[in-house]
Amino acid sequence: MKAIKIFERVLTTIPIMFGVAIIVFFFIRLTPGDPVDIMLGRSAAASQREIEQLRHQFHLDEPLHAQLGYFLGDAMRGNLGYSYIRNKSVVDLLAERLPATIELTLGSLLVSLIIALPIGILSAVRQNSFLDRFSMAGAFLGISMPGFWLGIILILFFAVYLQWLPAQSRLGYDVQLQEITGMYVLDSILTGNMPALMDSLKHLVLPSITLGAGVAAIVARVLRSSLLEVLRSDYIKLARAKGATEWDVVMKHALRNALIPTVTVVGLQVGVLLGGNMIVETVFSWPGLGRLVVDAIFNRDFPLIQGAVMIYAITFVLTNLVVDVLYTYLNPKITL
Amino acid sequence: MNRVRIIQVTLLAATLWLLAACAAPTAQVVEKTVVVEKPVEKIVEKTVVAEKTVIVEKTVVVQPTAVPGRDTLVVALARAPQGIDPADHSSREAETVIRNVYDGLVTRDATSGVHMEIAESVKWLDTKTLEIKLRKGVKFHDGSELKADDVVFTFDRVFKTNAIEFPQPHTALRKGFLGPLGTAEKKDDYTVVMNFTAPWPAAMQLLVHTQIVSKAYVQKVGTKGLIEKPLGTGPFKFVSSKTGLEEVVLERFADYYGGAPTLTPVGKSCVSRAVFRVIPENSTRVAALLAGEVDVIAEVPAELVDTLKKVPGVQVKTVPGTRPIWMEFNVKQAPFDDPKVRQALNYAVDKNLIIKKVYNGLAQPLAGALMPTNNFADPSLKPYAYDKAKALALLKEAGWVPDASGMLMKDGKPLAFVIDTIDSIRPLTEALATLLRDIGVDASVRVWEYNVVRTKLLAGERQAYVGDWGDSAFDPVGHMEAKWHSLVTGSTYGRGNFSGYSNARVDKLIKDGEIENDAAKRKAIYNEAQKLIYDEAPAIFLVLPEAIEAAGARVQNWTPASDSRENLHDVCLK
Repeated sequence: MKAIKIFERVLTTIPIMFGVAIIVFFFIRLTPGDPVDIMLGRSAAASQREIEQLRHQFHLDEPLHAQLGYFLGDAMRGNLGYSYIRNKSVVDLLAERLPATIELTLGSLLVSLIIALPIGILSAVRQNSFLDRFSMAGAFLGISMPGFWLGIILILFFAVYLQWLPAQSRLGYDVQLQEITGMYVLDSILTGNMPALMDSLKHLVLPSITLGAGVAAIVARVLRSSLLEVLRSDYIKLARAKGATEWDVVMKHALRNALIPTVTVVGLQVGVLLGGNMIVETVFSWPGLGRLVVDAIFNRDFPLIQGAVMIYAITFVLTNLVVDVLYTYLNPKITL
Repeated sequence: MNRVRIIQVTLLAATLWLLAACAAPTAQVVEKTVVVEKPVEKIVEKTVVAEKTVIVEKTVVVQPTAVPGRDTLVVALARAPQGIDPADHSSREAETVIRNVYDGLVTRDATSGVHMEIAESVKWLDTKTLEIKLRKGVKFHDGSELKADDVVFTFDRVFKTNAIEFPQPHTALRKGFLGPLGTAEKKDDYTVVMNFTAPWPAAMQLLVHTQIVSKAYVQKVGTKGLIEKPLGTGPFKFVSSKTGLEEVVLERFADYYGGAPTLTPVGKSCVSRAVFRVIPENSTRVAALLAGEVDVIAEVPAELVDTLKKVPGVQVKTVPGTRPIWMEFNVKQAPFDDPKVRQALNYAVDKNLIIKKVYNGLAQPLAGALMPTNNFADPSLKPYAYDKAKALALLKEAGWVPDASGMLMKDGKPLAFVIDTIDSIRPLTEALATLLRDIGVDASVRVWEYNVVRTKLLAGERQAYVGDWGDSAFDPVGHMEAKWHSLVTGSTYGRGNFSGYSNARVDKLIKDGEIENDAAKRKAIYNEAQKLIYDEAPAIFLVLPEAIEAAGARVQNWTPASDSRENLHDVCLK
């Protein structure tokens, strides 16, 4: 039953994607800057005929609704077009970059949960203690710290000063790895390549902390406040009255309910992580989607922007679906 | 307790770093490492420009020294190359990778001297016909020998309409570098004749930018295959690349013929492997060098030079760049339609102060339309001196008089305008606006995205623009026509003329210079054009920033090139 519901939800993403595609299509065409002009601006000599020819090739000489028709028709066949600037199919470009971004997003999600869960729980249980105040101050710092600044501080300390971790990239140039999924940590495990696993994990640490710090701070605060609320409820008093240990009260009775708002926030933060990638990917020269999109926007590479935004939208919709499914496990009263 | 200690240490480190960053002196003058052109190289270049002379080569063979330990040279670039097809690219990073994998008929040294590379000699048969004799025994990375067919094929791919078939048929982006080429023909296996439709004195400087591909290979694998696995005759073989050329791995080509005989050392590359990595963020690039992860970094920000120089073992070298910067006035609009106002504002800017404060001393003042390192820059023109009194006197002649508050006024209106610029030149523009405000001009700064502002500038919709324009050919061709010729829509003339400057005499001189084969006459033509532009001042001639690079302690025999190309052939690791 649940599987059918999930399938239904997946189907509802189709109209959402359709809407996103149309909005993005029109919005990027509203921005000033003509792609053909930008493309040929790079070339030393371009005749009027060549300009017109190029416009024709990209259907830019046709009315907008016709262009939209081409785009949607191609998109339905799984063809998102050719990048104007990079001479490569958009699907290939996205496939090449997406694994790096997913790896970094998952890494930072993991880091943020490792930081946030114990801090959130401890500061709720020991409300107003030194630990609570200290970690909430830390959370405040985490929220206010810009990613690029934290990234550079971490690089200077851990890469330059201590030389424990690498400052940039995803893998050392002297490490060989057979790519399967494009997610290096996963690929190293799949191919049983221990040196590559260690190296890719080392490369993942600093960018994940940089990207995850802000999310950790938010999640810790949300978890703390929702746990505080739950801990004041009657059924917790009952559990204590029954003689349950404090550990059982918090971990078994209270945490489960407190996690519902936390999971919602984590789900929303995945979107923030995807967006935040643009900066962190630049600081750590992580060859992911974020930098590709920024480049595409500057060059008015319409097909690439459209493709990337659709990927972001799909990820966001699917993450929300995962969150909804998680609700049903945390509280069986909730149905999809 | 332990956690508190870790946090204390981290905070301490952060504070120290911040203090170090704040304390970084900006006003110190930094010693410059100037690359001195060797006399031999100059002679070669001059011989070529003088035409009709066969170049006699002198070969000096120097074997690369064997290097123990890690033998991979890692170079960090600021941007990913955009495509690595020698016929179809437009970024300097692409050219860097290409010119380590491919060789051209001729090449350039670290400054502006041109040297024979695959060509053994070149000879002008007449003003429009160039005969090129090819060196024998030059091998492509697949072992086949380079012959005249490959050269003709390469030129055809570059200049013929729609010669590149992938992804859609289109004309190569490098077409402009072959000037008025009409046909390229094979005379025999080792001789190629280029027939131009007009005389083309800039040929040698521009031929540097065309690298030779293998006809058989490209016909076999197509453009797509060539981009995926480049194959040339250069000192390095292409091994692999990762995600959109974020990393390119090359290895020594064992059968390399040695490269230009006049550029020592001649022979195989010194390192066995070379890796290009893209690190876009300046601080990370510097950190990666300090952490020993990379050996050479490009585009070091001027403000970090002092800090880097204090690190033991780090080498910092600078060379005059090729991106001069001007503030172009919209000369078709008041108040800039008056040459006196434009000249006055040239006198109002203390370029030396800008160089000291914004560029940490690492820039040169411009004395007009061409950068000082252009082979045709007129040395008799001196940069407009900083002279506030003269500026105010000229403005007074133009009707602009300071009011009680010191603001320049004419007919009750202040001298106010917006200076447009792009993000990379923002610090200079802000300093410039401050200097202009100092004499009573109400100047403000607006930062744009270049691709957006470019069309507005060409349409004459803006007032003033601070921008740069690349001049890596060291020849006025391509530069004068783009920047100072009147805009001719649908042509290359005036494509970068953001001031709207239009002078019939200058236009004629620019066109004459393009086809004048006599070097002395050509120099006279360009000198006259430069003088006119200097006097009419369609722009505030600002600065030419140095290109700054840094390398680790193990790097030897490394020289940054003026045209921003990383030539890895000679670099060794100890």
